[in-house]
Amino acid sequence: MWCAEPSHSTYRALQSRAVVKPGAIVYNGSGQGDSRWVATKFMHTQTRTRIYTVTQVNSLVKEVLDANLPAWITVKGEITDWKEHGSGHRYFSLKDEESVLPCAMWRTSFARVKFKPANGLAVVVSGNIDLYVPQGRYKLIVEEMMPAGVGALQLAFEQMVRKLEAEGLFSDAHKKPLPKYPQRIGILTSESGAAVDDVADSVHNRWPCTRLYLYPVPVQGPGAAEAIAAAIADVNRRNARLKLDLLIVGRGGGSLEDLWAFNEEVLARAIYASRIPIISAVGHEVDVTVADLVADARASTPTKAGVVAVPNVEDVLSDLVHQEKRLTGSVRARHDISCEHLQTILASAVFRTPMLAVLNREQHLDDLAWDLGDAMRTVFLRTQKLMQDYYEQVARIEPHRLLGRMTVELNELKSRSLAAVTRVLSDKELKITAGENRLAALNPKSVLNRGYSITMNKQTGRVVRTAEDVQTDDLLVTELAHDNLIESRVTDRLKRDPAADTESPDSSDDGRQTP
Amino acid sequence: MTERKSRDEISKLTFEQAIHQLKDIVSKIEQGEIPLQDSLDQYEKGMALIKHCRDILQKAEKRIEKISKEEPPEREKEGDSEPRLKG
Repeated sequence: MWCAEPSHSTYRALQSRAVVKPGAIVYNGSGQGDSRWVATKFMHTQTRTRIYTVTQVNSLVKEVLDANLPAWITVKGEITDWKEHGSGHRYFSLKDEESVLPCAMWRTSFARVKFKPANGLAVVVSGNIDLYVPQGRYKLIVEEMMPAGVGALQLAFEQMVRKLEAEGLFSDAHKKPLPKYPQRIGILTSESGAAVDDVADSVHNRWPCTRLYLYPVPVQGPGAAEAIAAAIADVNRRNARLKLDLLIVGRGGGSLEDLWAFNEEVLARAIYASRIPIISAVGHEVDVTVADLVADARASTPTKAGVVAVPNVEDVLSDLVHQEKRLTGSVRARHDISCEHLQTILASAVFRTPMLAVLNREQHLDDLAWDLGDAMRTVFLRTQKLMQDYYEQVARIEPHRLLGRMTVELNELKSRSLAAVTRVLSDKELKITAGENRLAALNPKSVLNRGYSITMNKQTGRVVRTAEDVQTDDLLVTELAHDNLIESRVTDRLKRDPAADTESPDSSDDGRQTP
Repeated sequence: MTERKSRDEISKLTFEQAIHQLKDIVSKIEQGEIPLQDSLDQYEKGMALIKHCRDILQKAEKRIEKISKEEPPEREKEGDSEPRLKG
């Protein structure tokens, strides 16, 4: 608080600091402490009891700051809290390990910054401290900004390369092929520089037969990139009449700043959009620009443009000689071959003995007739042999002999079966005769012939075997030999002495009545 | 008449077109792709193309014309030729 009265020694010390000339003070980066000067001023003017408005205090502080701080301060720090306002002004802070310093960069100052500031980027900025009275806050108003470490342009170049590379502007797929034998080449460079003559000489030394057209453009300073880009677009638009088949864009060597136009985005995009192939030829060997990267081909310097752009006329002439030799040689060879062919044809047998063809054909016909006869003979002989073979096969079978053998066998079988039948028959005949004889012996009627008779009861019709078979007065019928019958009557039944029965032993067997 | 016409046509060819046609003719004749009579015609055309190419190559222009935006071209350096470009 300012009301705390400092000691005299402090006062003097502060007083002595306050009179140090602006510019000698190096801002220490600390965000606090300067309120002591305010206190000093108040002490000095002996106005302890006076009451101030807020605006008066802020204005007083601003006055003290303006009077005591150097008007141009250079500060190193890291960008943080980067903001791009719609007005084009930029607001951010610089920080180190301990403190933060608010900064602002107005649109006009920022337009001079080539690279793209971003959070985290270490920068060195220059400007002056200003207090904004309505808010009582101070800021460093930055007028210049440089990247810490690398140069600003180097950083800007790297940033641009990264950006355009990511968009594919350097891709080989977009490189247009260069014409092999350019006839009309446009050169876009400064009219006053050495580059135009360097390019023209390097082209014409190799290839004198091309026409060169200079389109003068500024190659450095503000607006140069835009002017070159517009020239490229203009030439493309008018090329139906200009008929340029190649453009060379470039300039001689210089500082990175001098060459800066060739690193600008507007030119890179114009080169990319060109329908006419473009060779870039900027600066010295070591200088590589964005234009080099986006162009269809790059010449390391304007004096090398010719090597890239055009063929060597000597080479092309000797190629023409070569083509001429081939053409003449092949036509001559063709002619020679045709003549030779004709000679061969004329010398051929057809032209010497025209009848030869006919004779040859006749001979051929004879040969064919012979062949036909031979063929027929062969067929005939083969058939004949085949028939003979079949005949022999049939003869080998001998059917007549086969038949004879069959007849003999049949006769034999016949006589054997006949003999067998005869034998069986005679056997049977003998058996039958014997049976007949025996049968005849058994016939009861034959007994009658020998004097036996058969007596039957006329009433019962039965053969009378015993006395019990009849009754007294029964009629008997007695059968005699030769079918003679007698009839008799039973008068008595008697029983004979058994001793007398031995006279006719077989009568009891047959049941026959003994006579 | 046709020969005259073809000669006129050849003189209008760019160097690149002419040398392309020439190489085409040479390779066709070498490979025997065309009949003898045609090959003689083609030979003549080839020779005319060679002459045309030589004419182009020997025309040492060695000069620079100037073009600029929206203006008629002015000649620069050697002043012996008519300007060919109109802005």
